[in-house]
Amino acid sequence: MRLYVDHSKCSGCNACRVACSLNLFGENNPKKSALVIEPLFPEPGTYNVKVCTQCGDCAVACPTEAIKKNDKGAYYVDFAECNLCEACVPECPEDVMFVRAELANAAWKCDLCGDCVAVCGTSALWIAETEAAA
Amino acid sequence: MNGYGGKILRVNLTNGTFTKENTPPEVARDFLGGRGFGIYFLLKEVPKGADPFGPENKLIISSGPLSGMLIPGGGKCDWTTKAPLTGGYASASMGGHFTAEMKYAGLDSIILEGISPKPVTLFIDNDKIELRDATALWGKKTFEVEKEFKHKLGEEFQVAVIGPGGENLVPYASINHDYGRQAGRGGVGAVMGAKKVKAIVLHGTKSVPVADIDAYRKAGMALYKACKDAEGLKDWTRYGTTIVVSWCDEVGALPTRNFSAGSFEKGKNLYGPVMREKIVITDKACFGCPCPCGKYSKNKKYNSFVEGPEYETIGLLGSNVGIDDIEAVAQANLLCDDLGIDTISAGNVIAWAMECYEKGILTKKETDGLELKFGNVEATFALIEKIARREGIGALLSEGVKKAAQKVGKGSEKFAIHVKGMEQSGYATHNATAMLLAYMTCDVGAHHNRSWAITYDLQVGRELVVPEKVARVIWLQNFRPMFDVLGGCRLQWVELGIDRDLYVPALEAMTGIHRSWDDLDKVGERIWNLTRLFWVRENEGFGREWDLPAPRFYEDAPTSGATKGQITKLEDVHRLLDMYYEQRGWSTDGLPTAETIEKLGLKALVA
Amino acid sequence: MTATLRLGASLKIMLGAQDEIVVPAGESVRATLLKLGIKPELVAMVTVAGELQDKDYVIREGDTVRLMAVVGGG
Repeated sequence: MRLYVDHSKCSGCNACRVACSLNLFGENNPKKSALVIEPLFPEPGTYNVKVCTQCGDCAVACPTEAIKKNDKGAYYVDFAECNLCEACVPECPEDVMFVRAELANAAWKCDLCGDCVAVCGTSALWIAETEAAA
Repeated sequence: MNGYGGKILRVNLTNGTFTKENTPPEVARDFLGGRGFGIYFLLKEVPKGADPFGPENKLIISSGPLSGMLIPGGGKCDWTTKAPLTGGYASASMGGHFTAEMKYAGLDSIILEGISPKPVTLFIDNDKIELRDATALWGKKTFEVEKEFKHKLGEEFQVAVIGPGGENLVPYASINHDYGRQAGRGGVGAVMGAKKVKAIVLHGTKSVPVADIDAYRKAGMALYKACKDAEGLKDWTRYGTTIVVSWCDEVGALPTRNFSAGSFEKGKNLYGPVMREKIVITDKACFGCPCPCGKYSKNKKYNSFVEGPEYETIGLLGSNVGIDDIEAVAQANLLCDDLGIDTISAGNVIAWAMECYEKGILTKKETDGLELKFGNVEATFALIEKIARREGIGALLSEGVKKAAQKVGKGSEKFAIHVKGMEQSGYATHNATAMLLAYMTCDVGAHHNRSWAITYDLQVGRELVVPEKVARVIWLQNFRPMFDVLGGCRLQWVELGIDRDLYVPALEAMTGIHRSWDDLDKVGERIWNLTRLFWVRENEGFGREWDLPAPRFYEDAPTSGATKGQITKLEDVHRLLDMYYEQRGWSTDGLPTAETIEKLGLKALVA
Repeated sequence: MTATLRLGASLKIMLGAQDEIVVPAGESVRATLLKLGIKPELVAMVTVAGELQDKDYVIREGDTVRLMAVVGGG
């Protein structure tokens, strides 16, 4: 299972990012979320959304084995075991592996909680089985 | 403080100094935020008789408890000041992402004081605050400036910027943000221009504390669920506010040729579905909104991109100036945004100039050679540019329709469509008495969004002049602006019809204070009375005369369309005011009485 | 020969009516609303099967006609 996005449906509201930070940290702060919304304005006038594909490259790169699988089969960061080494960040092909030491004392990523999907008014986000690589 | 950023930032532009103070808990308790904070600081701190463009006036920018939170539509920012357009109270609501960013920077209000000796940008990155030289930006249009900042600082920064309109002190200059969201009405952009602040750029990474995180999450999720389950979500999102163009045309509320009628014979070309088909490419939301009304357009005819047009702009820069080409309206919209003037006031004053021209009151000699006939697209574009730059006839029109008509005379005052000097927004109010009263008594001048009562007129009978209608207008005036007080948007309630009681547990979980809507309506009533007292304080002889509508609505019945032959008699206009003042607890001249001030606990604030 | 009218939340609240009303097919939306005592001008938008229609649309058997009011405006 993974999170999918239809970029053309995104309206850039950021509700997903607030819901995400509440799930990951119990805080109201979209800067601490695991999705990225890039507004491309004034031209071409669309949004580009980056989401985790659960590819697991971050987990492979992690020297402390802090990135583990949860019962949904999603990779998540065990905050207690992360040492902020940032080895995972450059490995992420989607740019959704985060280390911002000024904001949190552990790396973070999408754990597939689904709260972003629940608040998305335009149905731009959904969770489904991971498609086999072509 | 739970539910809040926690600080008020004061910027003394004259000295280039900053102070931060804790948001006073009792002010948060009594005025909540947003527009409530605005009127509180305005009344308390701006001295009587202050020149709107002078150093004593302040520009008060406020978020609210809903801003930046897991609440549908927590993206509204209030800009309050003494209005250059009217000499009274101004409060303009701006969507987008600015208000949320304020909260993340820990700010509930930013108060701009004094006047900077040179153009500056106010730069805020969490606790780092600077005034940066903006001499090189002065004179530039809004899109270019926003692009420059976003390019340099990144997408996490939010930008609010004025254009040439604000720099040139056009009294209906706007403040622009997020390539298409404005604080539009009353001239807040001109006050920013007078203070020599070209832009405010803002970034915050703080978490907003709440009283009960679990209850807050639950209540927020319930609000989103209600929006997503709403029957109208899909259609509303597809068309946004343009959904009402066809309906207004049908019922005679679409401003047509300077409000001389309420139906436009070529109106079909401006309807929502036509626009969607022709130019809309993206649904663009304010912060946290599940039902984005922003329609972002690619305008092939003019090779441009613009957010909108939304309903008001279609009305004022479309049918009201006789234009039936949606791409031309979109381009006029873009010119106004980029130059930094309010589309509503601009469309209104241009329509007045066109009527003057068609009646021979203005001739080509005064119009810089422009053939100012209704429907002339090129002339409309030219006027927008001239207004923002105050050039040629633009100098006259930039004064606003009231002052321009006073200067021109020759009966043109009769068709200057304004209340208290603010140009009327997009609803023609021939024989729609509740909506007419709403415009007459609106706290900033002829603006629709405090009380939108026109469906009530249709429901109970357009011509009726009865206490129930007046009560409805008052209830809406107390209640609807509460969304602006809370830093959120009313459209989820208005358009999707979600139960407003769903906000109650959310607000309680955030702030730790329980407030029912009865409590909130009372806050709204207090704020309404305070804004009225500001008008009274600032204007010698303020009273009933100030509440009268444009004579067109009691003298000058439309000769075509759904409201053909229909007006409200002047005696009925006065009967509406009689009932309104009585129900508000105001004198027969429209001033809050000593008892009302006492009863609402406002004595200390206005002594 | 019947069809269903579905009232959007705001219209429902305004009229104090139920969510759904079963109506006979074969008449226009406007005529149907008038028979129900609903003023047609209170309805801002009519959609049938996702397509926008005007109030002169003749309701067909089995249609679900969605009606939306504009209660609040901008």
